[in-house]
Amino acid sequence: MTLAAEREAESEVVYPDPTPPVLGGFQGLPARPGWFSQHLGTAVIGAVLGYLLGHWLGNVVGSGYTNVSNSGSNSIAVTGGLLVAVAGWLLGIGAVNYPLAKLVGMEPRPEYESTSWTRYLRYTADHKVVGLQYVIGVLGFFFTGGLLAMAIRTELLSPTSHVFGPGTYIAIVSEHGTVMMMMATSVVVGPLGNWLVPLMIGARRTAFPRVEAFSFWIFTAGYFVILSALFYGGFPTGWTGYAPLQTQAGVGMMSYLVGFAVIGLGMMAAGFNLAVTIINYRAPGMTWSRIPIFVWSILATCALLTLATPTLVAAGLFGILDHTAQTAFYVTEHGGSSFLWQNLFWFFGHPEVYIMALPGFGIVAELLPVFCRKPLFAYKVAAAGMVGVALLSFFVWQHHLFQSGINPDMRPLFMLTTELISIPTGFIYLVGLGTLYKAKIRLEVPMLFCLAVFFNFLIGGVTGVFLSDVPVNVTVHGSFFVLAHFHYTIMGGLIFAFFGGLYYWLPKMTGKTMNKQLGKAHFWTMFIFFNMTFFPMFLIGLLGQPRRVFEYAQNLQALNDFASVSAFLLGASFLIFIANFVWSIFIKPTPAPANPWNSLGLEWQTPTPVPYYNFERIPVVLSDPYHYSEENAPAVADLGEGELVTTGASSPASVAENPRPPAPGVETTR
Amino acid sequence: MTDTADKPLFARTPEEREFELRAAVGSYWTGGRLMIGMFAFLFASLAFAYFYLKSNNSGKMWRPGGITAPTGIGWTIFAVVLASVLLASYGQWRMRSGSLLDWEVSGWVAVFGILLAVGLQIWQLTQLPFFPGSSGYASCFIGWAVMNIMMLLGGAYWLETNLALCMRLRRVDPEEGTPATSNGPSAQLFRANVESCTYFFGFIALISALFWVFFYLI
Repeated sequence: MTLAAEREAESEVVYPDPTPPVLGGFQGLPARPGWFSQHLGTAVIGAVLGYLLGHWLGNVVGSGYTNVSNSGSNSIAVTGGLLVAVAGWLLGIGAVNYPLAKLVGMEPRPEYESTSWTRYLRYTADHKVVGLQYVIGVLGFFFTGGLLAMAIRTELLSPTSHVFGPGTYIAIVSEHGTVMMMMATSVVVGPLGNWLVPLMIGARRTAFPRVEAFSFWIFTAGYFVILSALFYGGFPTGWTGYAPLQTQAGVGMMSYLVGFAVIGLGMMAAGFNLAVTIINYRAPGMTWSRIPIFVWSILATCALLTLATPTLVAAGLFGILDHTAQTAFYVTEHGGSSFLWQNLFWFFGHPEVYIMALPGFGIVAELLPVFCRKPLFAYKVAAAGMVGVALLSFFVWQHHLFQSGINPDMRPLFMLTTELISIPTGFIYLVGLGTLYKAKIRLEVPMLFCLAVFFNFLIGGVTGVFLSDVPVNVTVHGSFFVLAHFHYTIMGGLIFAFFGGLYYWLPKMTGKTMNKQLGKAHFWTMFIFFNMTFFPMFLIGLLGQPRRVFEYAQNLQALNDFASVSAFLLGASFLIFIANFVWSIFIKPTPAPANPWNSLGLEWQTPTPVPYYNFERIPVVLSDPYHYSEENAPAVADLGEGELVTTGASSPASVAENPRPPAPGVETTR
Repeated sequence: MTDTADKPLFARTPEEREFELRAAVGSYWTGGRLMIGMFAFLFASLAFAYFYLKSNNSGKMWRPGGITAPTGIGWTIFAVVLASVLLASYGQWRMRSGSLLDWEVSGWVAVFGILLAVGLQIWQLTQLPFFPGSSGYASCFIGWAVMNIMMLLGGAYWLETNLALCMRLRRVDPEEGTPATSNGPSAQLFRANVESCTYFFGFIALISALFWVFFYLI
């Protein structure tokens, strides 16, 4: 019997509440919530003790080698400290409980189902809690990177008078780039992917909930590891970590290498779990042509996360071995090659660009139909475009080596593959434009952010096509032009889309409404000052100012000062967001309507707050969720017991009785 | 895999239970293959490093003097890993025929075999005739040793947790039949897990063979 047929037969049966999911822990021991159980505090204690132990062990090992004991610094001790600190952090939070229990065949015990805020400080199998943990985590990353950006722009106010020394300046630049890149790889997949994907596909859980929780907690550990570089004097390589500078750097480099590898593990875990969930836990009827376009973007991203990130982990491992075991992977004089790092790094690094871009595209494509009240234009083309971008992204990495370490005869090939990738990217862009065409657009805050993505990404994308061209690439390599390009794609594309997504889904995630006026103020200040900050950088770059250098020509001061002042105002725009967030969620919360945007998405058809098990009954999906304003549109899903999600536009599936307050454009009917 | 899909505990009806069980079994299948993909890219990075440095031969320092890691230990490690993988595969084949004991015996021997291989790999690191940074080959070999230890320990952990689970499942409900034959959800999940684990062991054998050729034959 199918689920749909079974529902008809059993719609009158009253079932007991479903059992909540289970989490790690030794079987038989009672759950002990409270300050004596494992939580953030015990994780911090574990990390501190782990660091001390690892550092001591590293010193014991390193003291046997004269080249270490005479060097004045000890990479082995620092690496040992950082690695054991991460292990202690995971041990302290409870990530290791279940893997250890499994060694003796124990099953996980039921998770203590808490509604207390303290659950956000714990290791939990609830994907919604993990999603919100990620929201706070990535915002912490983002604002840390943002403060470092303010420091950079402060230094660049004057070409000759300095706030920082050259070493401090490059350490700040490197830290800013690394923190931001690590944040950007997880900024959508972590918070929105984990929170929304199971709901969007009609699942009650993710496939591997503990792997999901692991991904968050190791992500946070990676944040502290990367931040620790500042206490070791930083690292001079920028976020790309190029050798031979990498091999010559001090112990701050270990924070970069260990941090990148640790966060890489988290990225792999997050991508692995979500990919398996999407493939296996789609509700009945949720065929590949019916899954929300945001889920397509997450699936394509997860494929990149799971397959490209191991290369980063391997590259980081080789770097760690160079510094600790004294191997010579990146030391040319001893049979290694600094270009090996460049190849490995960019084999991950270029797919990473699309790890960052694709979820942004997904958010925009998901939100446009809701605010345009019309179906997503060419859904299958958008999905194909995302898959195409993901596939092609593995074949373009050598364009980062046009200036170094590449056989010149190979340049045309990689120029071609790089230009090719603009085609599926263009598909997605055109799908968005097609959806906007002749639409009655509702200019709500999330939609404003989506429209900004079109504007920003056009500039970022077109300059990307310029940069794929070898002559232009060679001309502007290493300049502010490149910097402006990738800030337009990553910040102008991904971060704007992320904030659009936050404003859109926070009412569902928190049950509270964000203040609309403050949201608009945030948007306009962010949009205007973003462009005022980064557009001049194209000119600065074309006029010859190199990246990562704290002195520049006198004639560029006016443009730099303009960019710096704009950057400070851009930074201030985020204070409006923080104020809005704190005010709307904590100080004066206003309950959000059940479906404030009248969306057809399955995630909006659950109660708020969403129950532990997401859906009372596993939904049966009947069509894709984009049939807005269509006459005789099919019902989107059967939520069980005859409850249908329809557009409300003369749907044949609608019947008279409606159990929920009718929202214009969307009805849930019995 | 260290984190297995839970039993389908949310389901309210037989159909929902069946749906969630199918999803959980599918997750083992997909997860096992995806994990192989992840490890494949990890080792592909090492293989890239190997051939990149070999073809570059910077300062003729790829492998000065044609020096090789201790060949006898390398052969032994490879033979032990291969035997363990064959045993694990044989055990799973026997389990499909309903003989759980055969799987358990071969599984435990395979676990100890893999742990022996890890021990040998560590011992080999203490017997190297070269300094880690003395050449490109030496660097790649150290990288291989570290990654191989991680992979072998991961595989041994996965198989051991299945063996431990099997022992517990037999104790819990002897009436229901053995985990090899029962149609209960736990048994189905267990078999899916074992199948993915054995598949991963096949991958271990493939990787071991490839890098054995790289480091000892060419």
